[in-house]
Amino acid sequence: MGQEPYVEEYTIQAGDFTAIGEASTKFRATLKMLGIPSEVVRRAAVVAYEAEMNAMIHAGGGTIRMTVAPDHLEILASDQGPGIPDVALAMQEGYSTASDEIRELGFGAGMGLPNIERNSDGMNIETEVGVGTVLTARINFPGQ
Amino acid sequence: MMRVSEIGDCLDLTVCSPGDQAREIGGVVSGDLLSFIMAEAREGWMWITIQVHLNVAAVAVLKDVPFILIASGRKPEKELVDRCLSEGITLACTRLSAFEAAGRLWEAGLGRPS
Repeated sequence: MGQEPYVEEYTIQAGDFTAIGEASTKFRATLKMLGIPSEVVRRAAVVAYEAEMNAMIHAGGGTIRMTVAPDHLEILASDQGPGIPDVALAMQEGYSTASDEIRELGFGAGMGLPNIERNSDGMNIETEVGVGTVLTARINFPGQ
Repeated sequence: MMRVSEIGDCLDLTVCSPGDQAREIGGVVSGDLLSFIMAEAREGWMWITIQVHLNVAAVAVLKDVPFILIASGRKPEKELVDRCLSEGITLACTRLSAFEAAGRLWEAGLGRPS
């Protein structure tokens, strides 16, 4: 890998629940190809999957971008959804605003944001009600 | 540790995708909430669930879970079977409940400290 960070970005299509995980699976393949340590790959997969799921369930889709630098990677998910009125509440494990229909499929467990935080070395949420949400999560590579 | 093929011997299974029958399984996680599995599953574990849709395969791929067991007589959707076949993941169904299947595996020594 050179000095220029590697960037990969996908659109998360609204309404296509079966597609959740597509971007994450592609990110995973890329990271493996780049020779990133498997523990980092697994953490990145969790972060990306949960971010994809959130954008799909709550925001009607969005975009997800992974940037791989020499010493860390960053996953950025952005949407033009309803925003998160109370981030602290959304961070509470078990809290979810997903519909019953979604929950029956096993989504909307209220664990997404806590999972992202647990698997990253830094997470930031910028959100505005009625405008959208931008989530950024950073994972440092071992030894950095 | 137990091989995938040995697990087949202690449960009443219908195999939908054979995967790697020689793969060693180190533990089991049971649950139907995808984020819970994302949090709890470890590489090389087996996952017992009653979810039957395509996203089950996505979670298994992302968490390096080589064996999905669908419990309580539920049948996987075709898309899930196809994805498991293409990813080399073992997918099997059992009439047993998740509780009964886990009990049998525990009795057989899976997941217990040796």
